[in-house]
Amino acid sequence: MSLKTEQMVFAIHKAMSVREKILKMANRSKGAHVGSCLSVVDILTYLYFKELRIRPEDTLWEDRDYFLMSKGHGAMALYAVLAERGVIDEKLLKGYMQEDGTLPAHLDRFSVPGIEVSAGALGHGLSIAVGIAHGLKLRSKKNRVFVLMGDGECQEGSVWEAAMLAPKLKLSNLTVIVDLNDLQGYGRPSELVSFYPFAEKWKAFGWEAVEADGHNFDSLRSAFTRADRSSLPSVIIAKTVKGKGISFMEDELKWHYFIVTDEHLSAALMELKGA
Amino acid sequence: MRKTFIKTLSEISRDNEDIYIVCGDAGFGVFEDFKKEKPDRFINTGVAEANMIGYSAGLAITGFNVFVYNIIPFLLYRCYEQVRNDICYQRLPVTLVGIGSGVTYAPAGMTHYSVEDIALCRSLPNLSIISPIDPIETKAAIEYAVEYNGPLFIRLAKSGELVIRKDESMDITVPHVISEGEDVAIISYGSIFSEALHAVNILKNEGIEPALISLPMIKPINEEAIFDIINGFRAVIILEEHLRYGGLVSILADLFIERGIGARFIPLTLPDAFIHDVNRQAGMRRKYGIDAEGVARTVRSVITDKSQGYLLQNR
Ligand SMILES: Cc1ncc(C[n+]2csc(CCOP(=O)(O)OP(=O)(O)O)c2C)c(N)n1
Repeated sequence: MSLKTEQMVFAIHKAMSVREKILKMANRSKGAHVGSCLSVVDILTYLYFKELRIRPEDTLWEDRDYFLMSKGHGAMALYAVLAERGVIDEKLLKGYMQEDGTLPAHLDRFSVPGIEVSAGALGHGLSIAVGIAHGLKLRSKKNRVFVLMGDGECQEGSVWEAAMLAPKLKLSNLTVIVDLNDLQGYGRPSELVSFYPFAEKWKAFGWEAVEADGHNFDSLRSAFTRADRSSLPSVIIAKTVKGKGISFMEDELKWHYFIVTDEHLSAALMELKGA
Repeated sequence: MRKTFIKTLSEISRDNEDIYIVCGDAGFGVFEDFKKEKPDRFINTGVAEANMIGYSAGLAITGFNVFVYNIIPFLLYRCYEQVRNDICYQRLPVTLVGIGSGVTYAPAGMTHYSVEDIALCRSLPNLSIISPIDPIETKAAIEYAVEYNGPLFIRLAKSGELVIRKDESMDITVPHVISEGEDVAIISYGSIFSEALHAVNILKNEGIEPALISLPMIKPINEEAIFDIINGFRAVIILEEHLRYGGLVSILADLFIERGIGARFIPLTLPDAFIHDVNRQAGMRRKYGIDAEGVARTVRSVITDKSQGYLLQNR
């Protein structure tokens, strides 16, 4: 069940363009979280170009799929993919973290269209998603709900409170994607407060748990297909690399914080384009 | 402030085995040396704030002097009930060291601002609050925390704050006159104090001299000292990087009303609203009139309009 060659080329091209936008935003803003954003580019690209039923020109379309970016510090990645998909004007990216700009460093649903919920404090998205998914079911709607979380974020108790509720409410319309990059704010989840075995925990709570390569579109496609077919709420555990795509940023804690200088930017863009 | 905090605590902990640091997945660039020096006196409990606070309460029960470090919303808001029930209610020696006071992290967004923290903390019995203006007051606050045997919140900004206080061996529990003056007094706390200081310097060139007072310990407030200091001023400007309600303006208003003392307060605060603006801290302060220029403007208008305020009545 792999993507056709031209679809694959298209997706890879889009992901590269999203990465370029993120690097430029990080550079201009002198803000943090470039690693966290590069980690989820392929997942977001897949979602916005292959999976989500949305209308870029009508973000409040009542039959849309809902996407909640629970790891709100990955805001640059969402802004970039929204621009790539034509939901927001690409020019807005220039105002990221700028004086009297439009885009803050964490998500504010009143900032631009396409931001389903405000986020920035971890461990809120899944509970809200459970509420939306249940609300839709109660109204016999067919919309689906997707929520993206970090792996460090999964240390929050609230995540597991929501994880207990979703199967009870039979939320087959809910899919969680966990960005499993084994880095968090100040260490590695596997070393600090480990939640492994991870898939087994979700299964024990009554979820359909699917593992995937978070940087491979074919792998993501089969995972999303399985999630869609399941009658249970689903979690896609997507193995990723923090800083993916820029060799000197990959799997390095410091790129949770470091500023992308002009030198970093030109080296990174060179690598991207050469790839 | 961050550097002063860890430097002071590290030095003290060299001959104090009871000091224990807990962080909730924050502290990159802060704790590397401490972790090396005292690996069994430090833990990162992960992105799990409720557990971080409850766990700290437990450690305190076994005799440790616990310092919990995090960004303020994740130190107080996410785990407010744990702070209330596990630490304050049981009066345990846990010091909550919070960074990112006010809109330090702007434009991070509302999730990362701590602009109602004083309101939350002032209502908790047993909890003391210290909000230093500079590294010198930060050092004194940490030293106080080590000696103090109860719940304490220390409200810090981030890094790069300039030294304002000259008196290293201060008593952090009393308000302090930084600059003498007459007619109008400005009271402030936290890193925004530097804006007031800058305003006073601007005004000096115009021949206007308001008094400037640092009030590091917001709770419990040293009532006698604060009344003595501001007695006789026609108006008191209260500058804080906090939303309009529940902060120092409210605290002082409560106090004055209770004592039946008339005073004209001029609040310079953030509004009673969620902040959606995309601005850095400096731009945000300017926008809401709580920067040096805003303070200077307010002082000028109070000075020229004598109808604003009246002499404080003596008790
Ligand atoms: C409730 C809460 N606690 C702490 C933080 C501070 N914080 C921001 S990102 C982060 C690490 C998140 O790690 P992870 O979820 O694995 O995302 P990654 O950046 O590694 O992709 C932390 C602790 C926060 N935003 N919210």
